[in-house]
Amino acid sequence: MELVWYALLGLFLATYLVLGGYDYGVGLLLARGATEERRRAALTALGPFFLGNEVWLVAAAGTLLGAFPTLEGELLSGFYPAVFGALVGVVLVTAGVQLRSRPHGASARAAWDRVVVAGSLLAALGWGALLGGLLQGLPLHADGHVDGVAHLFTPFVAAVALAMLTLVAVQGATFLTLRLPAAGAASLARVARRLVPVALTAVAAATVLGLLSDRVRAAVARPAVAVLLPLALVVALLVARAALGQGRSGVAFTATSAALALPVVLVGAALWPRVLFSTVDPAASLTVADGAASEPTLSLLGWLVLPLVPALLGFQAMCWWVFRGRTDGRAPVYW
Amino acid sequence: MDTLFLARLQFAATTSIHFLFVAVTLGLVTLLVGVQTAGFVTGKPVYERLTRFWGQLYVINYVLGIATGLVMEFQFGLNWSGLSRYVGNVFGAPLAVETLVAFVLESTFLGMWIFGWHRLRRGVHLALLWGVALTAYASAFWVLVGNAWLQHPVGYEIRDGVAHLTDFGALLTNPTLGFAFGHVVAASLVTGGMLMSAVSAFHLIRRTPDFALFRKSLRIGLLTTAAAVVLLIGFGFAQFGPVGQVQPTKFGGGPDRDALVAEWTAKFGPGDYVPPTLSNVGLGFMILIGFGLFFGLLIVPLLWRDWLIRLRFPLWVVLLALPFPFVAVILGWIAREVGRQPWAVYGLLPVDRAVSPVGSGLMLTSLVGFTLLLGALAVTNWVLLARHAARGAADPALGRPPAPDTDTHPQPVFA
Ligand code: HDD
Ligand code: HEM
Ligand code: HEM
Repeated sequence: MELVWYALLGLFLATYLVLGGYDYGVGLLLARGATEERRRAALTALGPFFLGNEVWLVAAAGTLLGAFPTLEGELLSGFYPAVFGALVGVVLVTAGVQLRSRPHGASARAAWDRVVVAGSLLAALGWGALLGGLLQGLPLHADGHVDGVAHLFTPFVAAVALAMLTLVAVQGATFLTLRLPAAGAASLARVARRLVPVALTAVAAATVLGLLSDRVRAAVARPAVAVLLPLALVVALLVARAALGQGRSGVAFTATSAALALPVVLVGAALWPRVLFSTVDPAASLTVADGAASEPTLSLLGWLVLPLVPALLGFQAMCWWVFRGRTDGRAPVYW
Repeated sequence: MDTLFLARLQFAATTSIHFLFVAVTLGLVTLLVGVQTAGFVTGKPVYERLTRFWGQLYVINYVLGIATGLVMEFQFGLNWSGLSRYVGNVFGAPLAVETLVAFVLESTFLGMWIFGWHRLRRGVHLALLWGVALTAYASAFWVLVGNAWLQHPVGYEIRDGVAHLTDFGALLTNPTLGFAFGHVVAASLVTGGMLMSAVSAFHLIRRTPDFALFRKSLRIGLLTTAAAVVLLIGFGFAQFGPVGQVQPTKFGGGPDRDALVAEWTAKFGPGDYVPPTLSNVGLGFMILIGFGLFFGLLIVPLLWRDWLIRLRFPLWVVLLALPFPFVAVILGWIAREVGRQPWAVYGLLPVDRAVSPVGSGLMLTSLVGFTLLLGALAVTNWVLLARHAARGAADPALGRPPAPDTDTHPQPVFA
């Protein structure tokens, strides 16, 4: 039973990174779109999906709260600064995207756009730091106490956070090649292609730092997974680059989406059966089963929630279907 | 300053801000369902214009409300990890249902509603708004199931020092739930109705050219408020019975309270088991506001033959009364939450065992950070709502019909 919920948690988190990833990627790219029309067009492309994407974060947090209460408390308070930073980022993006078009003045809009850029940066770095932190363990004691926050400030965590940032930027640019009017898409494909090598470098750096770090080596229970999945990530990025070159945006977007989902799979699989590895007292490490709620709660949630997952997927699919295709001059503008 | 105090302050500040958004959301969405349905049935254009104008205000408030809700959700894990550890098996369930079942669908529906004007069939578009409203009510219900359990834990047993769920039905029939839900819903309707009336009054005072539209929304708003105030007061007084019974320490002294305090002292050791008086002072003011609104609404018969508009001073009364429901909802929550101190879960888990073991410096940073951020959002929200409300219903961005396709050379983006 825990395994089902753990898989579901992974699914929600990975979907959030894939979908939220292009929100933040587009947000980051606002920093280079010089004119107001370009920024507006990019946000219009995001338009109908924006609210639906964030929902996956809420779903992941809800799953943590209901199905993994112990894990929830220890995870979030143990990585406090990363979660705090990411949340501030998410709030800034949510507010900025919504607010930028409310005032009429161009300078006010530009200011809100900078808020969106800053928020996207924080969100990508924060969630990246959380994933990196998980892979390297934390000073957790048996009573749930965690020593300070210094464990988050290591080269490995910084490298993973930067890698997440670059992946998100690639994802955003690729998403726009799929959604913008054809004329705009070509130039963005070039941007995306140029970003891929940057992402490759960042991923490679994170992998090498991970292999060198004894904390990461100690925390990882399945080294094979921890080596193979970064390779898969590299392959996905290369596929994306090739597809972008041939103008096959759909394939490229699938590949970059896989690149954003893979880190979640990596963390889940490499640490299994543990989730939180204690660097001070191996016996205090939290396994997935320890972190989960007890049986009656899980089965109750199973009855109430699992039937709704298909409905959720169905309505999201309906949203993608209704608003599929490229935007044009007539697309409804709201953000 | 100790971590516990900072964490409590942070929870109080962020939830209060969140609830200011929530009250408007729940109230306005109900009114919007009404006007859009009326438009669908009668086909009169005034209802579509009303839906677009109020819908614009609703969406601004909703999206900023989400930002505050996100912070709420993570706060349990960040600051109250003890709560998850000891009672997460029970308390987590309603909150998980709330987020997974309700919020997730709500936002998806709303996204499609915003962008679906002129694109989806009218029936589908209306159904989406009904979906938004129903899921909003569902989310309020489930969050209150969680809160009611903190007020009066039921349906659990303690094994190995941790609470386990034994009877989920008991959570739904919790004596601190039913009337509270009715009271919260009524309070939100009062808040939404007052907002609608006050904005309309503002335009009518300025002798708006859009007279017919604002006359209509003044009527809708005032009649809704009037009906909801009666419910509100009813549910409010009804709460005293069950709450006073299961929480003898909440509303002042008596033999029940002394007996319970003696029991706790025996079980948990000596301590201060009486909540601060702050909670009951707030309660008094809230009740005062409740009766104030009730008597204020005796102006409703003036709607007859538009006397209310022609006399003008009642319009000022409506406009100036707008802050009161907002003050009352915060006071009500302070009464409920501070009144259960020093317990995170009444009689089961004291707050000092619920708080996360993080340093006070970190907690202070997060308190200042989140409070400033959410406070700024609240202020921005009000400024924007006021600006958009003042701009009038001429052409809101929401639901603007698509322009004819003149754009034959779309600008390349990010060249
Ligand atoms: C527009 C806002 C508003 C107004 C005018 C009132 N209330 Fe209220 N009250 C709320 C908004 C509210 C609330 C914010 O919605 C609370 C907080 C928790 C709850 O269930 O509702 C609340 C709580 C609350 C509680 C605390 C319940 C507890 O501690 O568990 C009581 C006893 C009352 N109310 C009673 C009243 C009475 C007798 C009123 C009027 C005559 C009244 N309220 C007016
Ligand atoms: C939305 C309206 C709400 C408001 C304004 C509100 C207000 C407050 C306040 C003032 C406190 C601090 C009390 C003190 O420590 O002196 C508090 C604490 C708390 N509230 Fe609420 N609350 C609200 C709803 C909820 C709900 C719905 C839940 C749960 C689902 C909840 C859970 C908590 C928790 C966990 C604490 C911290 C523990 C404590 O100090 O007792 N609150 N809230
Ligand atoms: C009685 C108190 C509460 C009520 C009635 C309530 C109700 C609502 C409603 C109606 C919304 C959607 C509208 C809006 O964003 O303005 C919302 C948003 C949200 N609330 Fe609350 N809430 C309460 C307290 C809480 C608490 C204690 C939590 C923490 C678990 C919470 C978590 C959230 C989240 C995560 C969202 C954003 C949902 C989204 O992204 O769709 N709320 N709340």
